[in-house]
Order: sequence, then C-alpha cells, then structure tokens
Amino acid sequence: MSREEIFAKVMEIIGRYAKNREILEGASEGTNILEDLKVNSARLVDVILDFEDEFDIEVADEDADAVNTVGDAVTLIEAKIA
Amino acid sequence: MPENTSPAMSEIPFRARATLWIQREVGRVLSIFWIPASAFALRFVTRYRIKNASHLRKRFRALVRESDEPILICANHLTMVDSMLVAWALGGSWWYVFNYRRMPWNLPEYRNFASLWIGRAAVWVTKCIPIKRGGRREEVSRVLKRVRYLLSRGETALIFAEGGRSRTGRIQLDSIAHGMGRLASSVRGCRALVVYMRGDRQRTWSTVPAFGDSFYVDFEVFRPHSERTGVRRSREYTQQIVDRLVRMEEKYFARRK
Repeated sequence: MSREEIFAKVMEIIGRYAKNREILEGASEGTNILEDLKVNSARLVDVILDFEDEFDIEVADEDADAVNTVGDAVTLIEAKIA
Repeated sequence: MPENTSPAMSEIPFRARATLWIQREVGRVLSIFWIPASAFALRFVTRYRIKNASHLRKRFRALVRESDEPILICANHLTMVDSMLVAWALGGSWWYVFNYRRMPWNLPEYRNFASLWIGRAAVWVTKCIPIKRGGRREEVSRVLKRVRYLLSRGETALIFAEGGRSRTGRIQLDSIAHGMGRLASSVRGCRALVVYMRGDRQRTWSTVPAFGDSFYVDFEVFRPHSERTGVRRSREYTQQIVDRLVRMEEKYFARRK
C-alpha cells in the first residue's frame, strides 16, 4: 500500500472524529490531529483503534504517543504494515 | 495471557527518579504541616463533611493492610478540590502523616494549579505532578511514566476518570481519560479503587463545592483484566473502570429518589 493510499484512509478515519471540518478539507501530513483538527484527546484512542481495524495492525500505547500529526499516523502505519 | 507490564514504561531516567524521590521526601517531612492544615481547612474553614467517614476510612485501611500492591484511585470529577476531598475521605489527616505513601499522587491540570511559581511550589510539596490535558502526547506520556514508576514502587495515585471536570454533572462518557486504563494495565498487581463522590448540593460542575456541603462517598476495589494487548488492552481496562463508576453513579441517584 502506498503512502498516499494510507494517507487517504487515515484522513477518512480521522474525519469521523474531527470537529474542525474546514481544516479537515485541506489537511496535509503536517496537520496536527488534536490542535488543528480539534479531535478530542479522549477520542484519539478511538482513532488508533480504528487504524488497528482498518490496517490489521496492533499499536502499543508507546507507539500511539508518537502520533501528533496526520503524517505521524501515516508513518506509524507504514512501519507496521511493512 | 499477556504480561501485565509494559517494558517501555518500566524505566524512567535516573534524573527523574531522583527528582521524584526528593519531591516525595520533602513533602513527607513537611506533611506534618500541610496534611493537617489541609484537613483543617476542609473541615473548619469550608465546613465540608464526609458522610460515613469513619466507615470509609476503616475500609480503606483494611484494604491497605490486606495487600501491599499498588492502588490507582479512579474518581469522578466535579470540582477543583475533589482530589483533596477524596484523599481526606479515605484516609484522614494524621493517618496519612504516618502512612505517607498512601497519600495519593495527584495529576492537577498545569494551567489551573502550576502556571505561577507559588502554585508550582504548592503542588510540588503536596505530591502532585502537573499535567497539560490534551497537550502533546509525549508530554502526557512523560507524566504517565512517572506515575507508573511511582505505582510500581507501591505508592498510591489518583486520576480522574474524565480527565477534566464533567460539564454535564454526570459521568461524561465522551471525555474519558485513557491514561487511567493505561496505568492500571502497565503496573503489575495494580488494583483500581473506583471512587464516586458528590456533594448534596452539587448539581453540576463548579470551581469548589458549596460551603458547608456534605459529601456522599463510595468506593469499590477490583482488578481490571483483559486478554488483549497494546492500546486495546488499556482501552478495556479503562472501560471496566468507567462501567463501575457509572453503576456507582446510578446507585447514588437511585438512593436519592
């Protein structure tokens, strides 16, 4: 799966939880999930669990700590499915 | 069954361990002042009262005698003095002075309590590790690792199930703090002590409870469990703790009818 395909799926998942729809439209890999997209920090766990289901991966709590931006999420998933 | 520890969280740098040790020992030496003073203020200045306090304290002391294993206190959150009230309800002042490791470590919101130097000094002495809720994940993780370390050393910690004060006045299921399950799942033998506390005059959230209020306090202890690993395991632990808390809230409101 290419990085672009992962990015598209990641955006689809994050879109379910993002409150800032305007920034979501033009989001890039540098977009911060909590601060820019206004995903509630309590819902970040749901986002990670959705990643697990979508990409058939397992994420440790420590791996999840590194996810601040959309690009971080894509990098994490890319590494897990490699 | 998965191992009940997370290797990556098992160590924190020597500097952090030393800092926590100094913080604990300074707080312990000064506890002869700050713990009774806090209890005095709650009892005589704000005139708060814990219903059934002696029964609650007997239960808590029995629990501590029964096992040396770490205790993570998970409570509902309605006011900014809840951590003081929960600690007071469970232990009483002089008992904590002589059983200092059972005085819970607390994670107050940095912006509320530690943005000024005087606040930082006060929370440092009183077993607090300020946290920026919703802040950078690495920062939150750094604080959780410290609490994890303290729990693994047999200390007691208190974390609010909802992260912040409930804006609805009831357990706010859409803002549950995942760190609670993460801590409980990463410390071997950790028991979750679930506390539901509410003042009689507490309708919704506030800065402090109404002066002279009386508090209903109840607690249950259990060991969350899960066959899963990773984030999913922590999530299941969190869910089990929240389910208990919701049942305790339902019990509270059923009794008030």
